[in-house]
Amino acid sequence: MIFEPVIGLEIHVELKTKSKMFSNGPVTYGKDANTQTVPLDLAFPGTLPTVNKQGVVYAIRVCHALHMKIDNELHFDRKNYFYSDLPKGYQITQDKRPIGSDGYLTIEINGKEKKIGIERLHIEEDTCKQLHFKDFTLLNYNRAGTPLIEIVSRPELRSGEEAMKYVEKIRSIVVFSNVSDGKMEEGSLRCDVNVSIREKGSEKFGTKVEIKNINSISYIQKAIDFEVERQSKIIENGGEVLQETRRYDDAKKETLPMRLKTDSVDYKYYPEANITPIKLSDEFIKNAIESCPELAESKLKRYMSEYGLNDYDASLLVSDKEISEYYDACTKFTNAYKLLANWVNVDVLGYLNKNNIVISNFPMSPEHLGGLVNLVAKNDVSSNQAREIFTKMIEENVDALKAKQILGISSQISDESMILNVINEVLKENPQSIIDYKEGKGRALGFMIGQVMKKTQGKVNPKLTNDLLLEELKRR
Amino acid sequence: MNYRELSIDELHELLVSKKVTPLDLAKEAIALAKADTNNAFEYIMEKEALEAAEALGEPEANNPLWGIPFVIKDNFSTKGVPTTGSSNILKGYVPVFDATVVEKLKAAKAIAIGKTTLDELAMGGSGITGHLGRTYNPWDRSHSRIVGGSSCGSAAATSDGFVPFALGSDTGDSTRKPASHAGLIGFKPTWSRISRFGLFPFAPSLDTVGIFSRNVKDCAYVLNALAGRDEKDSTSSTKPVEDYAKDIEKENKNYKIAVIKEIEDSISNNVVKDAFKKSVEDLKKAGYQVDYVHVSNELLLTLFPTYFVISCAEATSNNANMDGIKFGPLSEGKTFEEVMLNARTKGFGELIKRRFVIGSFALMKENQNELFVRAQKNRRRIVDAINDILREYNFIYLPAAPGIAPKFDDASDKLSDEYLIADNHLCIANFAGLPSLTLPIGFEDGMPFGANITGRAFEDKDVLKISYEIEKLTGLKNLVAKGGQK
Repeated sequence: MIFEPVIGLEIHVELKTKSKMFSNGPVTYGKDANTQTVPLDLAFPGTLPTVNKQGVVYAIRVCHALHMKIDNELHFDRKNYFYSDLPKGYQITQDKRPIGSDGYLTIEINGKEKKIGIERLHIEEDTCKQLHFKDFTLLNYNRAGTPLIEIVSRPELRSGEEAMKYVEKIRSIVVFSNVSDGKMEEGSLRCDVNVSIREKGSEKFGTKVEIKNINSISYIQKAIDFEVERQSKIIENGGEVLQETRRYDDAKKETLPMRLKTDSVDYKYYPEANITPIKLSDEFIKNAIESCPELAESKLKRYMSEYGLNDYDASLLVSDKEISEYYDACTKFTNAYKLLANWVNVDVLGYLNKNNIVISNFPMSPEHLGGLVNLVAKNDVSSNQAREIFTKMIEENVDALKAKQILGISSQISDESMILNVINEVLKENPQSIIDYKEGKGRALGFMIGQVMKKTQGKVNPKLTNDLLLEELKRR
Repeated sequence: MNYRELSIDELHELLVSKKVTPLDLAKEAIALAKADTNNAFEYIMEKEALEAAEALGEPEANNPLWGIPFVIKDNFSTKGVPTTGSSNILKGYVPVFDATVVEKLKAAKAIAIGKTTLDELAMGGSGITGHLGRTYNPWDRSHSRIVGGSSCGSAAATSDGFVPFALGSDTGDSTRKPASHAGLIGFKPTWSRISRFGLFPFAPSLDTVGIFSRNVKDCAYVLNALAGRDEKDSTSSTKPVEDYAKDIEKENKNYKIAVIKEIEDSISNNVVKDAFKKSVEDLKKAGYQVDYVHVSNELLLTLFPTYFVISCAEATSNNANMDGIKFGPLSEGKTFEEVMLNARTKGFGELIKRRFVIGSFALMKENQNELFVRAQKNRRRIVDAINDILREYNFIYLPAAPGIAPKFDDASDKLSDEYLIADNHLCIANFAGLPSLTLPIGFEDGMPFGANITGRAFEDKDVLKISYEIEKLTGLKNLVAKGGQK
């Protein structure tokens, strides 16, 4: 039997607004427990929710990036259930009218584009954080009320790889649009995966298993691949897949059962009467979209068409928002875009990796890097010299010219007539080399360049020297 | 001196002329509150009131509420002052913030004297379900009659003359029904006219801050202090407020008044009926157009079930925060479910537990369409029918209750038209968010009963004006319970 996996994803994204979705409590990360709350976050009787405008703006940005229909009225509902992490005993969410519906995003699989349908995007609020111990549980309400958007895909993903690419794309969108940190490790992007398998060609869905608590993008693929394999084996052996929730154990590299899903919980959704429907004007929606920073996809295209970068370099730059922003900042100081991309992707990234830091802590200003790239571009220094200068610039916190001066590097000679004079001198002194060259002895060329270097203490531009010497030899 | 029968205007004159000080008034009110025999108080704010009264300084001639004592229903959050909602589940709870209405009255320099009893978490109409037990009607010295609820303590304290006005809340009739039983003005302004921030929610789509007073003009003064947009309540209206007391005595003979025949007919008590009919005749004689209009009995019989389903459904979720973790008694349990179950079982009274179960049942997926959604649709039908009348008429005028305050052991037939219609029609104004005011129109056996005037949304001032007219015609104002006086 040939099996086909059917995968759907529910992604929760924490929005990095200043205050919470329905209160003026601050949104922070890593502060002391229970210091970032106001009465509403702990559901004090009589407190009332007020909608965070910026949260709505952020949701609209993501809706737009996902080609969704954006509702022009905001409606909120209550999702009722009792749980120890839920302050009010209900969560304010959007059930009947999510702000975004019917969208898609495009991923690339084996060089081919594939559209993945997105059913809905809705705004809601986060719960408090629990820390379980053997005999007790600690509750931290700092997170309670943090704005969330939930993005629900259609079950159109067919492999772990597709799912991973889908999540990468979502993450890129929320990070580039400045709405979230998108860090799975810190929980600002959380992903629940629904996996079932069915016989290829079948229209019917198999029994769905939910995988929770996946805390990195690479585990998404691993968890799904494992789960597909597990379910396939069960069915091949004549067994039945149980409807359950599982978690991914990254040490064991397998999914483990958490709980059986019997009848699904009845959340008794009904409209939130404390927030009357809010009309979103066309202008508000337009502003939300137009104020959105440039997304990765558009940057990639721009880098390729305007800056002439290749797909590899451009993709590498936009794989990280801050790095692409650093690159953008450097372009204000140099026009050598391709060379600049090379320097950022090789030398800057190399430095970050070696020192295990992020770009925001990279000590060289975009202006300084731009200056260095300019020196290389006009052949003032060789590549090797430029690398030395790069290191010195960081050590001394100086610009390229100053570092060059400290290192005692003099500028390369790129004056053609001057180089030509030396070449002619060398040719005159070494007639045998010319003959050797014409007879095809490759070493002769290297020798003659060496002589030119010697006469100029290595200051001539090597490439230019090579070109001029070849031209000169042709004439003899 | 005895100030308990004076109106705000009269007290104000004494205060401004310095014949009496805010401290005198506060002291008298506190003394009366301490001697209260009707179980009107959850907490007497003696220290806070005396401090506030002493701190007032020079009288403000243009501020009628300056130095005036009042009481607060105990479902309004008061900073630093225990607030229980008359429920054991909130025993010992001291809020960290003031409700907006409390803040506004403090800003107007009125003096809060105490927190008053209510039916547990405002759910009930009898004033007997609070954790301190029955609240008695001050008009009946034998303590055999209810004052009504859920704002029972505020009604008792105001009608007993402890204070000239009080804060209540009104989800179905919780201010306007006790007002009828206690010979008071009970006003539920337009929904969203007053911020609900800090009012413990019962059913937010129906909940309104209520005002008790002993005459119509006093009520207008209080509304002046309370009305207006509040950023903390996003449902509060941005419509400009008016001066509700200004020109209240100016007659407007163009007002048209409708009486719903079927509701009047559902009442069997002839004393009430006759008094109401006389009031209608008096209005006509005074030059107002009063017409009988019709709403089908079939629709009126749905009022109570519609109200009950919607309010219970909303209530179950609004009180879900009291789970023994943040609010409610700390309870043992091996799992969080056990902790919550134990806390809620212990903390809530039987009657409201029943409401939670009913509300939860109405919201269940398999029942929601048949119960909650159907009730919402029916609410719309009722609102449409009422607004049809109000397109042609400024007001709907009706008896507020089928009779005087019932005795504690009176059992009413819960399936009779009289109960389902005459005793429950006041929720119409909550369904439609309309301003609605109860005022006294007569007595039976020494007990007062009232009529109710309901107007168009945001025409609160017109409701107050016509009420002022009716008050003039009945001559019933500044009533203080005689039964309660020793």
